[in-house]
Amino acid sequence: MVETNKASALRLGMLIFGALAVATAVEFLLALFAYVLPILVVIALIKAGLVMYYYMHINRLFEADPDPDQESFSYKLMTNRIGLWFFMLSDSFIFGGLLVSRFNLLGLTRPDVNQFTGLGVTSLLLISSFFANRAETAMVHGDRKQTTISLVVTILLGLLFLAGVIGIEWRIAPFRPADNVAGAIFYAMTGFHAFHVLTGITFLSIVLGNNLRMRYTSEKHWAVEAAVTYWHFIDVVWIIFYPALYLIGSVH
Amino acid sequence: MKKLIPLGLIRGWVWQIIGTAFGVGLVTGIRVLMHLPPWKAEPSAVVGGLFGALFFIYGVGVFDDWILWASGRESPDHGDEMKLGWRRFFGPSNNHKTIGVQYLALSLLLFTIAGIFALIFRVKLAVPGSKLLTPTEYNTLMSLHGIVMIISVLIGISAFMNYVVPMLIGARDMVFPRLNAFSFWIAVPAGEILLSSLFMGGFDTGWTGYPPLSAQAPLGMQMFFLGVSLASFSSILSALNVLATVIRLRAKGMTPFRMPIFVWAAIATSIISLTATQLIGLSFQMVMLQRLLGMGFFDPIKGGNPILFQYLFWFYSHPAVYVFVLPGLGIISELLPVFVRKPLYGYKWVAMSSLAIALAGFLVWGHHMFAAGMAEYLRDPFMVSTLLVAVPTGVKFFSWVATIWRGKITFPTPMLFVLASILVFLLGGLSGPPNATVSTDLQLNNTYYIVGHFHDALYGGYVFPFFAAIYYWFPKMTGKRMSEKLGKLQFWLMVPSFTVMSLLMMRIGLLGMRRRVSDYDPALGFQADMMVMTIMSFLTALGVLVFFINLFLTLKRGEAATGNVWNSRSPEWLVPSPMPLHNYDQELEVVGEPYDYGLKDSPYVRFHGESEDGRNQ
Repeated sequence: MVETNKASALRLGMLIFGALAVATAVEFLLALFAYVLPILVVIALIKAGLVMYYYMHINRLFEADPDPDQESFSYKLMTNRIGLWFFMLSDSFIFGGLLVSRFNLLGLTRPDVNQFTGLGVTSLLLISSFFANRAETAMVHGDRKQTTISLVVTILLGLLFLAGVIGIEWRIAPFRPADNVAGAIFYAMTGFHAFHVLTGITFLSIVLGNNLRMRYTSEKHWAVEAAVTYWHFIDVVWIIFYPALYLIGSVH
Repeated sequence: MKKLIPLGLIRGWVWQIIGTAFGVGLVTGIRVLMHLPPWKAEPSAVVGGLFGALFFIYGVGVFDDWILWASGRESPDHGDEMKLGWRRFFGPSNNHKTIGVQYLALSLLLFTIAGIFALIFRVKLAVPGSKLLTPTEYNTLMSLHGIVMIISVLIGISAFMNYVVPMLIGARDMVFPRLNAFSFWIAVPAGEILLSSLFMGGFDTGWTGYPPLSAQAPLGMQMFFLGVSLASFSSILSALNVLATVIRLRAKGMTPFRMPIFVWAAIATSIISLTATQLIGLSFQMVMLQRLLGMGFFDPIKGGNPILFQYLFWFYSHPAVYVFVLPGLGIISELLPVFVRKPLYGYKWVAMSSLAIALAGFLVWGHHMFAAGMAEYLRDPFMVSTLLVAVPTGVKFFSWVATIWRGKITFPTPMLFVLASILVFLLGGLSGPPNATVSTDLQLNNTYYIVGHFHDALYGGYVFPFFAAIYYWFPKMTGKRMSEKLGKLQFWLMVPSFTVMSLLMMRIGLLGMRRRVSDYDPALGFQADMMVMTIMSFLTALGVLVFFINLFLTLKRGEAATGNVWNSRSPEWLVPSPMPLHNYDQELEVVGEPYDYGLKDSPYVRFHGESEDGRNQ
């Protein structure tokens, strides 16, 4: 029974990853060859919706409590979920503010940045989200080893993403932060996001350490769920930021 | 000395010094590696301040449990903190009542400091041509008065939301107690950093910090931005905690429309704080980055747009006004039925009006920018949306008047402050629409009329309800009742003098006095008004001094009050004062309506496990 669930969870994770990958490829090609702004917006929203539903399990917030006792584990777990989602809601206003600033200052032009690094780092984050999901699903099924492997891969991909953005992207960009407003916006948006990636990697590393110490069970692993959900949230932010920075608008 | 060293606060300060040194060293080290001149004041101050704040919180001990969890260990049981006595207020307590008192003390401290700033520059304004302060000193004090008051208000509402909300909903504590401690302790370095701007050249932008001026102001500007950014985290996380607590920890039977009205106000406030506050933080951080790294968000030469700052800033800072006043209005609605012995008129409408004000508040920010060069077609929608806020506010006034109508009114000090709040908030409310209407706002913009308007709104919506709440819940906190005589003296000192002052502010505004200027022409003809306002401001301050004397005397030898002092129906008054460590020992069940005063056999709550006679009236 458990085995079939595990297999179907893997299938679902791969299916969603496939859909996200195809959508990303489509938006990249559309932006290059057949630029239509509303379609790009719609694709980004669909991608964000897929991650929020299938990877972040937003629907869990609306489930009834199995145990109405406020001291029970399941009740506290639900409370923690609500707290985490409030935090992400609050955080998304920072990114929303940056997005508003980007469109206020640059309108339908965009910073002149390298398309292929952009696609590369986006793919890294997308794949890392798949492995983050694997880590959580494996934990649900009590597979500690699989959790460890998936967490390690997620963290490595996250580090590669940071290296790609800060080590490559920031170096090869044809502007410095102080040059013009496009530079200011580009470094601010990627910088705020990179800071969140860094915190996400920190949380995942803490969870990895505690998983090696056997701190989690298939029933009680809130920290794993929280770190993974937060990691997906960072991915959702990038799903919106990627078209806003790389695809939408024309280069001046 | 031995008694002092274990105090979290002292350890925090030691670590703050280490953290500041670390931050300064970090900046200097990076500059050396980049072959730049090693010392530069501005980045050193910002990074030093930031690390100082983080190390402070670590030093206090707020992170201890989280660090244990992160390293895979269980956190120890903190035991009964009551045996620490007064020292529990200086350490990382997780108890919502202790944190509430900590917030309250910090809020009163900042309130006093900001008030003293106002008294200083009021003396300068009493006569034209006074040389008491240089213009820069005046600007710094005026700006700090504004922003320190605002932080004090934010901390003050956190005080009451923390102290009262868990009791009102029958919970043992807030839902995330460690986060609660973090929200309080980050406000302490935030206040320190904010005030340190006094010694770093000050700043001259007013509390709004508009670029381009704020991009060129002295170093103190950065301390202002950093301090407010840190304080915003306190507000955000406190709001998160309140929302989650109300959603998850209500007592059995407490359906949404049986919640006390203050809880509704706390929810409405927290919705704004949780979300919009991020944007004032972001807008301030963007100016900080512009100053530090030359990123030209608001610099027209680099293609930036100064108006963008105003959009981001006011998206929070107008709803912030509702953050300040909604809890106060909630306190008015909460206390009024107790002192008129009648049900709150239109309970559901009052509850919904708080939410309506909060949600409408998200759509009105543009009315601060009518004269700032915003697009013409945006003016009318913002005017209409702003005027709409008057509707739910009117619902509240209607409810208060109808509640008072033919009630058996008694006038202890909290009730006096509640009545003063209603009157003064009415003045603040009625003077608002002329600022929301484009045609009149273009004349009133940046005059003292605005100053009079928002002082009335904040005194009526925050300061007087705040004092009412302190007098009302003080027995709950300490088991002692504050002196009625001194309370009434405070009331009669503060309320008339403040009202005269605020009305004169509006008058001189209409006669042509600009806000934020350090001097005026005697020919404008309001020299006498200025002198009267200064005298009135000192009388108001005297009232606050009487409050502190009252506080001190009550703590030293106050009249014991352990029972239901106000004959309230609310559950926190049905258990002895001061409140037990974990609020309610027995299970609490809500069985009736919260404000059915005067109706026989209509208990609001029932305790299980003990005889109930005499407990529910």
